[in-house]
Amino acid sequence: MDTTKKKRRIALGCEGSANKLGIGIIAHDPVTNEPTVLSNVRHTFVSPPGTGFLPKDTAQHHRAFFVRVAKQALANAGVRPSELDCICYTRGPGMGAPLTSVAVAARTLALLWGKELVGVNHCVGHIEMGRAITGAANPVVLYVSGGNTQVIAYAEQRYRIFGEALDIAVGNCLDRFARTLEISNDPAPGYNIEQLAKKGGRVLLDLPYAVKGMDCSFSGILTRADELAAVMKAGGRGPDGETFTQADLCFSLQETVFAMLVEITERAMAHVGSNQVLIVGGVGCNERLQEMMGAMAAERGGSVYATDERFCIDNGIMIAHAGLLAYETGFKTLLEESTCTQRFRTDEVFVKWRK
Amino acid sequence: MATDTSTATKAAFPCALTLEIPFPDTRLASVALRALRVDKELSPLVHRTLTTVMPSTPSPDVDAGAITPGQEDAVLRVEYKAATNRMLRVAVNSFFDSLALVVEVMQELDEDVVVESHHIRGGGDS
Repeated sequence: MDTTKKKRRIALGCEGSANKLGIGIIAHDPVTNEPTVLSNVRHTFVSPPGTGFLPKDTAQHHRAFFVRVAKQALANAGVRPSELDCICYTRGPGMGAPLTSVAVAARTLALLWGKELVGVNHCVGHIEMGRAITGAANPVVLYVSGGNTQVIAYAEQRYRIFGEALDIAVGNCLDRFARTLEISNDPAPGYNIEQLAKKGGRVLLDLPYAVKGMDCSFSGILTRADELAAVMKAGGRGPDGETFTQADLCFSLQETVFAMLVEITERAMAHVGSNQVLIVGGVGCNERLQEMMGAMAAERGGSVYATDERFCIDNGIMIAHAGLLAYETGFKTLLEESTCTQRFRTDEVFVKWRK
Repeated sequence: MATDTSTATKAAFPCALTLEIPFPDTRLASVALRALRVDKELSPLVHRTLTTVMPSTPSPDVDAGAITPGQEDAVLRVEYKAATNRMLRVAVNSFFDSLALVVEVMQELDEDVVVESHHIRGGGDS
């Protein structure tokens, strides 16, 4: 019997930078470093139609559900606290109060269980989980969510931002338009826009197209979309002289913003010499975006990688995975320094675990 | 963090409140202290001091003068000083929210509690 058999490394990760509270437990094989998802539990704070989620209410939601979600994660994984190597939490970026509410609980767990803490960058969490699940070797990453829109490529131990949204994230544009249309936020506003868009396609309404070099801008498009929504409600006509519907608006908005994302992603691919794209973040669940990106990548002789909603929507397992990768290189966060920050650039992280 | 009791401070932050929260033992009071003191107060017009102290009144079934081991500093003491009553109220309410979370986590997820609840679930863990 091999009594020197190395133990697998296990981490618990806590995520709450927006309206999703996620706690996950991951294991890394001691020999192959292969990651295994032991549990991935999430609870989403959904606000009523026509509203968005505010920091105070979101933090309250996370505090109310933390214990429940944590217990479920431990039970699903069948893991005892003593077996954990570290407790990982989202340091940032994101909304202040929600981030801090989760950090307070994570600190308490670390102190009760005698474990070290690892503060994780939310964007790096998405990237590392996308890489792990899809096996994409060295893709250009499009990170698109309600809070972030970045085109990222790895170089010399940093995730470099090649292009980004200059004002609001593409997901924010979609979420706020969902409020204008007063469609449901359950399970997510973007999901409901996607379903409505599938019923459109008869007419492409005229919206601004705002790519600026490697970057893009969405607030002007949102303003124009809101104006068109008001025209629609007043029974006005579209460019072809016919009335138009919510579905037409959703279709037109998606086609416009997704084409912009494909353009800036392609620009980065040309710059870097890559033909692989990895899409991460909540907006990455969108099948139309995946389809449009796939068409562009295929033209370049490449392909698109995407994960399903378990991993592209904010979750705790990505925090556990990225945190454990860092912890294994000797990184940790002292308790006294385990604060949160609303602004945390993706390239601030030293990616020591990659060459 | 040293408490500043100069008259200048008292004049600038006239609204004050001190809370003493008893914990079952020193370990848990210390966990609460360390978890809660990391985050700074958001407003410069609010000062907060967090310490652990001895219970001011011993529990009734203990001899006066005899302190039970593990009970020495089992009380979490918070002192708030703010420029206005409104700021004091906001800061203290927020503190209570965080404190309630810390206490719930202790109650439900401390090491011995979690293992116990796994067993009650009927051996579901592998």
